[in-house]
Amino acid sequence: MDLASVYYLGVTFLLFGIFVAIVVRTYSRKNRERGEDPKYRMMHED
Amino acid sequence: MDQQQGYADDVVKGFILWSMVWGLVTVLIGVLISLQLVYPQLNLPPFLTYGRLRPVHTNAGIFGWGIGSFMAFFFYITQRLTKTRLWSPGLARVQLWLFNVIIALAAVTLLAGMNRSKEYAELEWPVALLVVVLWVIFSVNIIMTIAKRKEEQMYISLWYILATLVGVAVLYLVNNVSIPVSLFKSYSAYAGANDANVQWWYGHNAVAMVLTTPPLALFYYYLPKSTGVPIYSHRMGVIAFWSLIFMYLWTGAHHLLWTPVPDWVQTLAMGFSVMLIAPSWASVFNGYFSMEGQWNQMRDNYLVKFLIFAITFYGLQTLQGPSQAVRTFSAFIHYTDWVPGHVHMGTLGWVSLVIFAGIYYTIPKLYGREIYSVGLANLHFWLAVTGQIIFSITMWVAGVQQASMLHASNPDGSLHYSFMETLIELYPYWTWRSIAGIIYLASLLVFLYNIVKTISAGKAQPAEQKA
Repeated sequence: MDLASVYYLGVTFLLFGIFVAIVVRTYSRKNRERGEDPKYRMMHED
Repeated sequence: MDQQQGYADDVVKGFILWSMVWGLVTVLIGVLISLQLVYPQLNLPPFLTYGRLRPVHTNAGIFGWGIGSFMAFFFYITQRLTKTRLWSPGLARVQLWLFNVIIALAAVTLLAGMNRSKEYAELEWPVALLVVVLWVIFSVNIIMTIAKRKEEQMYISLWYILATLVGVAVLYLVNNVSIPVSLFKSYSAYAGANDANVQWWYGHNAVAMVLTTPPLALFYYYLPKSTGVPIYSHRMGVIAFWSLIFMYLWTGAHHLLWTPVPDWVQTLAMGFSVMLIAPSWASVFNGYFSMEGQWNQMRDNYLVKFLIFAITFYGLQTLQGPSQAVRTFSAFIHYTDWVPGHVHMGTLGWVSLVIFAGIYYTIPKLYGREIYSVGLANLHFWLAVTGQIIFSITMWVAGVQQASMLHASNPDGSLHYSFMETLIELYPYWTWRSIAGIIYLASLLVFLYNIVKTISAGKAQPAEQKA
């Protein structure tokens, strides 16, 4: 595996880390109500 | 809030009507080129041959029917989800004209044989530059509207809309880097395997950013609007969105399995393609779970019928796609008629059914009229589904037969059948594909008639139902 391949995989793992952070934040108890609120609000936007 | 209270909806009407025109052109040409395969004498060189017409069919379908209607729905949905008037209705009107000029130019130049020979990126550089201008105008208008929104929290559809704007911009710019040698001819800035890798990074992510994220934005908006019940889980929608975005961009090289592209790139693409099942099916489950206690609406509500069949085809598509991305399976069916069967389940089944539902929901709201005929809408639905299923199954069977013949070998290792012999065996399947196309065309005509009559002669809607 050459240096370019290592960079390629490095970026992949970095993005995966960001993704995991998004999952943790979205499903934290603190954000539970806030995370579901838009689905109710959009029903009234007409 | 309705149009009188501030939303800019005239341009939404314009984009919907023009996308329907291009949709009709797409299917008409699709039927014609399917017949050209069955009856080669229908090829009229130089302009009306299969080779010239096929890219017109795909460009009119993806960009005219697909992007055209998505532009309409993005304007419609964004204004309502942000409770904000479109940032610049004037710019949107310019965009509508430019959009139609580009689609017309695309048709003319492709028929004249001006073609970059990159699938879905065929347009020569002057037209491609206009596409860039069009996309910048569109993106600025939507992003500025979202930026000055009155709703702090963004509903999931807006995330899909933003991803579409950014994703298409990046893909289109990178894959269209070219060196012009004349007004009508350019060559790709990349060469060899690199060129192929960039092309299919673009090609497969056109599927992501044009044929997946926009219909998902529509699905998440129109399903709850049609059923009257919120989506099952907004947070699951958010996670599905980010995982889809994270995974999709690595999958393009699955189009290049068994080619000179490095093995590890192929393996990575294969792995990410299989992982994509998870976010895709998260949206499918979100749709199904949203129907809990509402399944009776599949019988009573034609909009729900379109949307639930659409998400089901999306689910099937996103199982079949990753399967095809596995090396062994790809070795069998790649370069056969299996592939158009797969593609058309996505375009005729998933994407078009969502667009139909969106138009059926939106047009009565915009014109303040009830749909002209629910019976015709149901007829349209069943004709479309029948045509699509016949098309796809016919092509899958044809693909398996062709693959089996191409892989048959003699005891000495030589091939048992020539390529030409496989084609001769495909004629009956091609005839059935044309029949399927004609059924789909009939469904489209029923749809267009219903919409035109809704606009011109539909009963006025009660005031509280207007958008």
